[in-house]
Amino acid sequence: EKNITLDSATRIELSCRLDSKYSHLKSLQVTWKRGNETIEHISKTDDSRGIQLNIVDNSKLGSYYCTVKGEEGEISARFHLQVPHIEGREKPIIGYVGDGAIMICKSYGYTPIAWTWYMTNGTEQIAINDSLRADKYIINRVSANVTHLKILKLTKEDEDVYWCEATFELGKSKGKLKLKVLTLMVPLKPFLAIVAEVVSLVAIIFLYELYSKRKEKCAEDEREFDQIEQL
Amino acid sequence: MEQRSGERKEEEQGAPAAGKSPGTKAVDEGWAWGVVLHFFLVNVLVMGMLKSFGIFFVAFQEDVGGSSERISWIGSIMSSLRFLAAPLVAVVCGRLGERPTSILGAGLVSGGCLLSTRATSVPFLCGSMGLLLGLGFACLYQAAAVMTAKRCRTRLAFSNAIARSGMGLTFLIAPFTQFLIDFYGWQGTLLIFGGIMLNLVPSSMLLRPAAAQPPENPDHGCLMAKKDPETLDGCLDETTHGEMQLRSAQELPTTEGLAVSHNKDVSGSETMEKPCQETMTKAKRSHKFFKQRGKEDSQPLLDFSPLTDPIFCIFTWSFLFSHLAYFVPIFHLVARARTLGISSMDASYLISVAGVTEMLSQLLSGWVADQNWTKKYHYYAAYLVLCGATNLLCPLATTFPLLMAYAVAFAVFCGGFMALVLPVLVDLVGVQKLHSYLGFAAFFAGIAAVGGPPLAGWLYDYTQTYVCSFLFAGACALISPISFFFEPSAQKWKLKKANLNNSPGFSWRESAVQKSKDGV
Repeated sequence: EKNITLDSATRIELSCRLDSKYSHLKSLQVTWKRGNETIEHISKTDDSRGIQLNIVDNSKLGSYYCTVKGEEGEISARFHLQVPHIEGREKPIIGYVGDGAIMICKSYGYTPIAWTWYMTNGTEQIAINDSLRADKYIINRVSANVTHLKILKLTKEDEDVYWCEATFELGKSKGKLKLKVLTLMVPLKPFLAIVAEVVSLVAIIFLYELYSKRKEKCAEDEREFDQIEQL
Repeated sequence: MEQRSGERKEEEQGAPAAGKSPGTKAVDEGWAWGVVLHFFLVNVLVMGMLKSFGIFFVAFQEDVGGSSERISWIGSIMSSLRFLAAPLVAVVCGRLGERPTSILGAGLVSGGCLLSTRATSVPFLCGSMGLLLGLGFACLYQAAAVMTAKRCRTRLAFSNAIARSGMGLTFLIAPFTQFLIDFYGWQGTLLIFGGIMLNLVPSSMLLRPAAAQPPENPDHGCLMAKKDPETLDGCLDETTHGEMQLRSAQELPTTEGLAVSHNKDVSGSETMEKPCQETMTKAKRSHKFFKQRGKEDSQPLLDFSPLTDPIFCIFTWSFLFSHLAYFVPIFHLVARARTLGISSMDASYLISVAGVTEMLSQLLSGWVADQNWTKKYHYYAAYLVLCGATNLLCPLATTFPLLMAYAVAFAVFCGGFMALVLPVLVDLVGVQKLHSYLGFAAFFAGIAAVGGPPLAGWLYDYTQTYVCSFLFAGACALISPISFFFEPSAQKWKLKKANLNNSPGFSWRESAVQKSKDGV
């Protein structure tokens, strides 16, 4: 099984070859399929074990199978022709109410023609138009392969699943990002708990010191009294 | 004769006072363990913060923006200021005392963390996170180290090793940081870290001043008798020849402009007339003598005398090179393992084994050094030589078992000498001047720490192999104990200089100090 990533129109050659230990087998039949249909009218390569494909648009992408039939059985292999995969982020991006958040999408190795951002509103995906709401969204193409979506003045409603879509010559590819918006109270609660613990420890130590100093002073006064008595 | 009777009387007096002193002594030991606990916590939190900076690095890169180089400045400022600010901290400690300095340090660290939550740009973070945290760490570290030296006289090496073993626990802090960042984002994580660092405030309160305060009211001469056992247990060597110094105390010229000490002299003679035991006043006057000396030493704001002291040069030379020898292999061990074809899982296993071994070896080395079978710096030099030899043999380690053996050996010897740095310095210098010496030594170590990683990186770029870094580290480790060969002659030189410069009484004290130090 092999994954082949294509971002622009190319001519590609797929070939299935058996291991050299099987080279003694004769009368092998190689068939190529795409989905369920057998490909017949494609120009075959010289040793007629491979096929040549001209990939010009999205419809030509997909999975191609080659099946080698012999006397003892058959072996098949699969090729997946696809557009480059865009990775979003598994873990949610954390933003705070009132602050801004930056969502980053990268394409590795292949340069897309354009980037589009979508937000999921319920079940449908709505494109984010940064010129329409310039104070809220800023889409920045930082470099050819990287795009940034900056959301300003976050509110709870901005907590959503966002999609960054890269448009290639041969198709589109999406990456998923999740934004989570927290209020300041959320980390503040553990912080205040820790501060309370610290204050109580400080108070305990301080009181203990006060107590032991008072005890010392009493003992000293006693001893001084004893010694004055002695003398 | 009077002296001898004085001593005997002190012993007698010590007995009824000692009736109290097991109680106070036990309390004192309790406070000493408190100091060790604080130092342990400082190690855990400070080192943990420094090591988990790499995780913040990623978060900063995405959120705040800025190139890798600019963001890594934050980390370097943070870790280098921890050393470089040490002389400044020594001054502050001298002025304020250890406990306020430590609390100040804890405040700086948590304040820096809290301020960084509002950061929007890299320069801001450099200041808030790099500068404030670095200064805070330096304050905390210096105060804790000196306090440990002051409190744990007899078992300094072991206590130091226990405290340093806190560094071994820092491996827990990194996953914890990652978890917090996933949950709360880097701002929330910094907020919570600020709170956690605030825990160092109550633990700094455990740093009770060890030396007895001279009584505000000179009539309470008997106060000293009770406080004597405390310091006597600790200051055995100093008060034994404190008796001898009493004669010379009167001959010693008081420094000009010290009206306070003059008053103390006057009050000292007043209390002579008080109906207290003669020995107690003697003990008190010895304490007053030390208070005077203390005041003399802290008068210059920044005490540059360590820089002219050959002992300091000896120590710093070895400290510098030993730090270089320590840091460089740590950086390059994993990379070397990778180039030899070992998987990254196994390579990180190397690091964890090395970490645990180092922790155990520190404890063992501290305990052994405390048994006083020989002088501590002999152990120190021995560990360094062995470490250097191990490093030089490292290029021969080309398979995983051999590399593991190297890592274990390296960790054993490194743990050994790392645990002894502070005790050796205390042995060479004594506790009174520890602040300024430690401050300057840390300063020079900081220069090594700042220069070490880039130097190692440059070595790799130049030679395209990691072998050279290990050879370099081995060479450094072998060079570093060389200076200790000069230690006896340096002590003699110092003694001669002291003899020439000062009155005979003073030199007599110096030789007494020398004898007591040799005895330790």
